[in-house]
Amino acid sequence: MPGMLEIMVQNMVNIPLIQPLVDVLLKIPVINYIVALILWRPIFAVLIIPGLGAIMLVLMIIVWWERKLTARVQWRVGPLEVSRPIGGIMQVMADGMRYFFQEVIVHRNAHAIYFIQLPILAFLPVLLPILLIPAGPVYAIRSDYAIPAIVALIALIPVVIIAMGWASNNRFAYIGAIREAFMYFAYEIPLIFAVLAMMVLYGSGDPFVIVEKQTVPGILLNPVAALTFIIATVMATSRLPFEIPEADQEIAFGPFVEYSGILFGLVMTLAYEKLYLMSLLLTILFLGGWNGIAIPILGDFMPPFWLFLKAFVFMLIISLLRSIYARYRLDQALRIGWSSILAISIISIAISYALVLTGWLP
Amino acid sequence: MTGMKEVREMSIEVPVEPPAEYESLFIPVPKEFVEDAYRKDDFIVFIGPQHPGSGHMRIIVRLKGDFIVEAIPDPGYVHRSMEKLAENRLYVQNIPLLERPAIMDFGNYNLGYVRVIEEALDIEVPERAQYLRVLLAELGRIGTHLYDAGILAVFMGHTTGFMWPFAVREFIVEALTHITGARITGSFIIPGGVRRDVDEKVLRMIGRIIFTIENRLEKFERVFIRNPTVVARLKDVGVLTREEAIKYGVVGPFLRASGVEYDVRRVESYEVYDDLDFEIPVGDDGDGYTRFLVRVEEIAQSMSIIRQVIDRIPEGDVISSDIEAISRNDIRGSFYDALAKITLPAGEYTTLTEAARGTLLFSVLSDGASNVPYRLRFVTPGWMYLKGFMESLKGERLADLQAIYGSFGYFPPEADR
Repeated sequence: MPGMLEIMVQNMVNIPLIQPLVDVLLKIPVINYIVALILWRPIFAVLIIPGLGAIMLVLMIIVWWERKLTARVQWRVGPLEVSRPIGGIMQVMADGMRYFFQEVIVHRNAHAIYFIQLPILAFLPVLLPILLIPAGPVYAIRSDYAIPAIVALIALIPVVIIAMGWASNNRFAYIGAIREAFMYFAYEIPLIFAVLAMMVLYGSGDPFVIVEKQTVPGILLNPVAALTFIIATVMATSRLPFEIPEADQEIAFGPFVEYSGILFGLVMTLAYEKLYLMSLLLTILFLGGWNGIAIPILGDFMPPFWLFLKAFVFMLIISLLRSIYARYRLDQALRIGWSSILAISIISIAISYALVLTGWLP
Repeated sequence: MTGMKEVREMSIEVPVEPPAEYESLFIPVPKEFVEDAYRKDDFIVFIGPQHPGSGHMRIIVRLKGDFIVEAIPDPGYVHRSMEKLAENRLYVQNIPLLERPAIMDFGNYNLGYVRVIEEALDIEVPERAQYLRVLLAELGRIGTHLYDAGILAVFMGHTTGFMWPFAVREFIVEALTHITGARITGSFIIPGGVRRDVDEKVLRMIGRIIFTIENRLEKFERVFIRNPTVVARLKDVGVLTREEAIKYGVVGPFLRASGVEYDVRRVESYEVYDDLDFEIPVGDDGDGYTRFLVRVEEIAQSMSIIRQVIDRIPEGDVISSDIEAISRNDIRGSFYDALAKITLPAGEYTTLTEAARGTLLFSVLSDGASNVPYRLRFVTPGWMYLKGFMESLKGERLADLQAIYGSFGYFPPEADR
């Protein structure tokens, strides 16, 4: 077993800020295994940042921020009563606790096995892409095909949602699942094309190469691809104006209509988790990834910090859409997806080829 | 045997049994309708009665794919049998009862009912009281239109468009509080005038409120009325042509949106509407967006009317000399002495009023002896345009149902009475 500890210690995240504390903790018999495991680079990437811990942080802040921002736009105050001194930020925790202790109702017509397991299964396509999303020295798997693999894994989430709608065996859930399927095809192809355009531009699917080549951020090199990616992100995470599969006034949260308690809590956060993943992808492709101002005291923690911060700021900005737009109809959204968005995504590929062939790219 | 493959139409006879609840819950769908829909592979969806956004009302929608083939309304979830209740109350006690269908629009509802009594008893109303009645009616009209705009917005998922009109409506409510003492359901109009005089200061405050509302509505116009997503959702949706609108008996702003210039305030003018300058907004397209824009324009016209009322209101009594009141400025102290013994002469008396959502009919049948109505007929605009609403749904998509619902401002408590 000492060999195991050595392997982990050799490949540990080096953060000068907490290094003295880590040194102390590594001398304590049992704690040293735990500390070494958590700070082991692959585990740190998946569990802390940009993985599970960061997702939880994002969920906590983004839900609160979205409600608070919308409230400000609408001449309201927003969540405040839970933890008044810090502006009601604990509201999300209170909601989560309420979900947790609420009864989970599995109605008689549901296909109970799928109905219960799908919200939990949905975490697989959420957490698996994290393995492939590197944050500088903190990464789990390095691959030349990381970017296509991330896109492919994210594309599994709608499949789970459609399955939820099917397992619910409810009319509204069924209509919602159909809408989700339609939307899936409308945004997925432009999204893949936008990612493809950037891979053509950088000549690689390896995030390390992509980030290294971005001395100028990708959003300036190929703004059309960035625009396509952002619109596709809005469609993919079913945010207004494309909040069509969940449309609560029309089909009462669509595929999720029958879920209650903690299962609803799980499915409700799915869109935010997807938004987080796509923001990370956007940051790597268009915003220069983990490049940023050097902060020596953070050491290895600095690249994940910058990656997370860029993705997070993008999420904060995109939250504003909710208070500006009404919801498009399904056919209008499909028309937009299959005509203009598809067209500009193809143009973005052409732009990338033009840039590569003329040799503009450094 | 020719050797050629015979082309046959295949159909599987699946036993179709409508759920037993359809009968026990009195759902207005015949058994044949359900069986026919199942056989043709249509989809029957129940919208409501509990529904995020809408009031308590059920619409049974038959869908072919995403398109609505047929829409059957199932109203009555908030039926309070007002016509029957009214038969057991004194004439004056009916005033607060009959404004309940549309609480925001109480001015018009009071006005419609009180005018029936005044018509029967030939009561002359002082001019100042008439101006105050118009003021209440128009404030209620603005409030109702703002309320409906908010509901329309939330139906399309535009939460800012929901919150802003409701916040602006709060100014109207404040003005009503200063006039009547109640936020809504003021019951302020009585036979022979209004309950009490309104102070000069309050009138000036209402003028300032109107100014504020105008400013806020400009912002609202930028964020909601001209929003491309809103226009895309409402334009060419739920179209009622001029002929259809007349045929299905649509009333009020929804009739005017289809190009019919009919407004009771002009056609059979009452109170002081003849002396006031205002236009009747008329649309041409008859789609959801026009129905919304007509009401937005009506808000502007109502604000202009209120300004004129504040400028022109004469001094004088607010209670008619036909009423035995202690004071001509305040009914308090002599309310029941003056009004409880009202008895209408035998006969039938009818008035038409232009309420916010359309033509409002009050008809009272009196036996000439009792101090309660023998029969009271009361037709609200919501009930009148329900048929047009259902007809405009046909051929639209399921997602349009909410947009059309909002564009009609259908308000179940008003329609069900």
